[in-house]
Amino acid sequence: MHSIYTFVTGPLVWVAFLVFIGGLAGKFVYLTSLAKNKDPYVFSYLHLKYALRSIIVWLIPFSTRNMRLNPVMTVVTFAFHICLIIAPIFLLAHVIMFEEAWGVSWWTLPDAVADVMTWVVLASIVFFVVRRRVVPEARYVTGPKEFVILGLVALPFLTGFLAYYQIFDYQTMIILHVLAGEAMLVAIPFTWLSHVMLYPMIRGYMGSEFGAERHVKDW
Amino acid sequence: MTGKLALWAGLGLLTALFVWPTLFVGPALSQDDMTHIITDAFGVKQRPASVFVHDEHNIKAEIEDDCWLCHHFDGKNPDPMDSSAGMPCVDCHPVKADPDQTPLMQAFHKQCKDCHLEKKAGPIACGECHVRP
Amino acid sequence: MSEAALAQKIDDPGLDETAAKLTPERIRTTINRVLQQENSARLKAFVGTCVSCGLCSDACHFFLSHDRDPKYSPAGKVKQTLWEMIRTKGNVSQEFIVRAATIAYTECNVCKRCVQYCPFGIDTAYLMTVVRRICHLLGVTPLYLQDTSHSHASTFNQMWVKDDEWIDTLQWQEDEYRDEIPNLRIPLEKEGADFFYSVIGPEPKFRTQLIGQAAVLMNECGVDWTMPATPGWDNSDMSMYSGDLEIMGRIKRAHFETARRLRVKRVVMGECGHAYRSVYDVGNRWLGWREMPIPVIHALQFYWEMLKEGRLKVATQMEEPCTFHDPCNVVRGMGLHEMARDVVRAFCSNFIEMEPNREQNYCCSAGGGVINCGPPHTKTRVLGNRVKAEQITATGAKVLIAPCHNCHGGLEDIINHYKLDVKLVFLIDIIYAHMHKSNAI
Repeated sequence: MHSIYTFVTGPLVWVAFLVFIGGLAGKFVYLTSLAKNKDPYVFSYLHLKYALRSIIVWLIPFSTRNMRLNPVMTVVTFAFHICLIIAPIFLLAHVIMFEEAWGVSWWTLPDAVADVMTWVVLASIVFFVVRRRVVPEARYVTGPKEFVILGLVALPFLTGFLAYYQIFDYQTMIILHVLAGEAMLVAIPFTWLSHVMLYPMIRGYMGSEFGAERHVKDW
Repeated sequence: MTGKLALWAGLGLLTALFVWPTLFVGPALSQDDMTHIITDAFGVKQRPASVFVHDEHNIKAEIEDDCWLCHHFDGKNPDPMDSSAGMPCVDCHPVKADPDQTPLMQAFHKQCKDCHLEKKAGPIACGECHVRP
Repeated sequence: MSEAALAQKIDDPGLDETAAKLTPERIRTTINRVLQQENSARLKAFVGTCVSCGLCSDACHFFLSHDRDPKYSPAGKVKQTLWEMIRTKGNVSQEFIVRAATIAYTECNVCKRCVQYCPFGIDTAYLMTVVRRICHLLGVTPLYLQDTSHSHASTFNQMWVKDDEWIDTLQWQEDEYRDEIPNLRIPLEKEGADFFYSVIGPEPKFRTQLIGQAAVLMNECGVDWTMPATPGWDNSDMSMYSGDLEIMGRIKRAHFETARRLRVKRVVMGECGHAYRSVYDVGNRWLGWREMPIPVIHALQFYWEMLKEGRLKVATQMEEPCTFHDPCNVVRGMGLHEMARDVVRAFCSNFIEMEPNREQNYCCSAGGGVINCGPPHTKTRVLGNRVKAEQITATGAKVLIAPCHNCHGGLEDIINHYKLDVKLVFLIDIIYAHMHKSNAI
C-alpha cells in the first residue's frame, strides 16, 4: 500500500501533468507551426477583439441560437463543464495534498458542495451517454471511442466519490481514483478532450474570420 | 508480611503507571481511552475526526516512553528533555498560522504522515485516518 | 455502401464513369496529398476537435428537410467522407469516392451555417471543400459542374459566352432600354472610369434584362462607369466550388487585372452571392491577397450607397407584401443584411421578415455550386430544402426578393415544386420598377 500509494501520488502525478501540459503545449506548437507553413493566412486574419468576442459569447449560457434551440443540452453541458473543472481544483483534499507537497494552498470548496458537483458530473455523463444512444444525429456520429472517452472522464469522479464515502475497499479505491485522474489528464492531449485548448484556438480564428472579415456574428 | 509488601508494591506500580504520567499531561486529558483526535478548533468539520487510539498506537510504534517525539516544542528537532505533553496542540499551532508557524491541520497531518512514510507503516491516505463511522 | 446510400444513387457520368477508371493507388495518393500536403493545420484542428455531439445538425436545411435524418447532418456528412478517408489512410473504393462526391457536391451548399451552430466553430463547409478538392483531383466531379469549370478555363466566363456575343449583348441591352431612357449608355472600355460593373455569365446568357436595368440605374444615379469588352468581365467562379483551385486563381486574376487595365477605382458587381465569396474570401487568398487587390462592392452595397447619397430616388413603393431571402455569401459572408433591408424598406411598404433571418437564414440549397451540378441533382436540392418552402409560406408574402443568382435559381425550383404562391424577383427588378427616372420619356 505504502509504496503503491506514494508512487501514484508522487512520480506518476509528475508524469501525468508533464504529459498533459507538455502534450498540449506540443500540440499547440505543432499546429501553429503547421499553420504557418500551410495555412499562413490563419495568422493574417486573427483579430484579437473578434477572437475574444467569439470565445466569450460561446461561454455564456443561452447566448447563441443553438443553445436556445437545445435548452436541456445547454444546461447540462454548462453544469457539467463548470463542475468538472471547479470541483477537482478546489477540492479540500486535493488542495491539502498540494499544500503538504509544495506549501501552496488556495480557497477550497466545502465537501458538501464538492459532493453535489460530483453528482452533477456523473449525472451529466449518464445524460451524454443516453443522448448519444438515443438522439439519432448524435448516435450516427458516435463510435466506441466516444464512450471510452466519456468513461475516462467519469472514472475519476466515480472512484473519487466511492473513496470519499469509503464504499468498497478504501485503499484500493483511493489508488484507483488517483490512477483514473492521471489517465484522464494523459488522455487530454491525444483525444478530442484536447478541445480544452483547441476551443479557444478554433473559436479565436473562426471568430476573427466571421467578425473582422465577414462582419457577421458567428452564433 | 510478604503479602502486605506485594500489595504495596502493586499499588505503587499502579500509581507509577497511572498517576505519574498525569503529573505531566494534567488531569484534563486521560489518554488511556483516547480513540480519535478531537478538537473544536476547526469550526465546521469537513471530515470525520481522525482515528487515533493513543495507547495502542504507542505500543505498536514502541514509543510508549517517548512522549516528546510527538509532544514537541520544536517540531524539526524534538528534544527528549523538553516535552510539551499536556499542552493543547492549538496553543502553538493556530488554525490560521503566521508564516513561521505550522498551521494546525498541517501540524496534525505532518505529525502522523511524515513518520508513517518514514517508517513505511501506518495510514497515509485521507480516508485511512478520517474513517467514516 | 449501405442500402440507403444505394437507394439515393443518382446517375451522373461525371461521377460514375470517371470513378470507374480510378486505381486504388491513385485514390490513396491523391487523398493523402490533399490531406497532408495541401491541408493540414486547420484540417487537423477541426477533425481532432469534433466531439461528435451532433449539435451542428440543426443548422443544416438538408437535415431539417429530411426529417432529421442524421446522414444529412454536417457531422454526418464529414463522417461519410473525410473521417473514413483519414481512418483508412486513403484506402477507399471507387464507390466510396462516388458517394463522397455526391455528398460534398450536391448535399452540402458550403453555406457555413453549421459554423454558427458548432460549439467549437468547426468549419464543416471547409471540410466539404477539402473533399471536393480530392474529388476534383481524382477527376470525379458532377458532369454539369465540370462543364462550367471547363467554360471558365477556356472562355474566362461561366457560360461559354463568346467574346463578340458579350459585346453584342451589351449593345443590344443598350438599344433595348433606350426606348425608355434615350440617353442611356453602356460605356465599354472606358479607361479611368470610377468603377467597372462586373456580372456573372448567366446575365448575358439568359437574364440579360438585369444588365439593362442596371444600366438604367447607373444612368439615373449619374455615375461614371464602364464595362470591359474583353474576357475578365465575368466575376463568377464555379471552379472554386468544383475544387479546381488552379482555374479559380486564373479567372480571379483575369477579373482583377481587367479592373487594373481599365484603371478603375473599384469594381461593382451585380446581384450574385458566390462571386462575392470568390473575390472576397477564396480567390483573393489563393492569389495571395489578404483583402481584395482592388475594392469590389456588391450590388447591395452599391444600391445602399446610391440611396444614402440621394442619387437613387424612390418614386413609388411596392405595396404587395414581400419578404427577403438573405443570401449566405453576402450575409454570412459579408454582413450586408442591414444594408439590404434599408434598400428593401425604402422601396417596399409591406416588408415581412422570414424566420429565422439575417445571418441565421436558411440557405437556398442551390449555392455552393450545387445548382451547377445540373438536372441530375435538382431533386436532391429541392427535396433537401423543404424548410425553405415552409419558411417562405409562413411569411404570407406575395413577393420574394432574392439578390443572388444561385438563390434565384434554387428558389425558383422550390417555388415550383412546393407550389408556393409567391413571385420571385431580384432587388434590381423592384428598384427598376419603382425608382424615380428623370431621363425617361
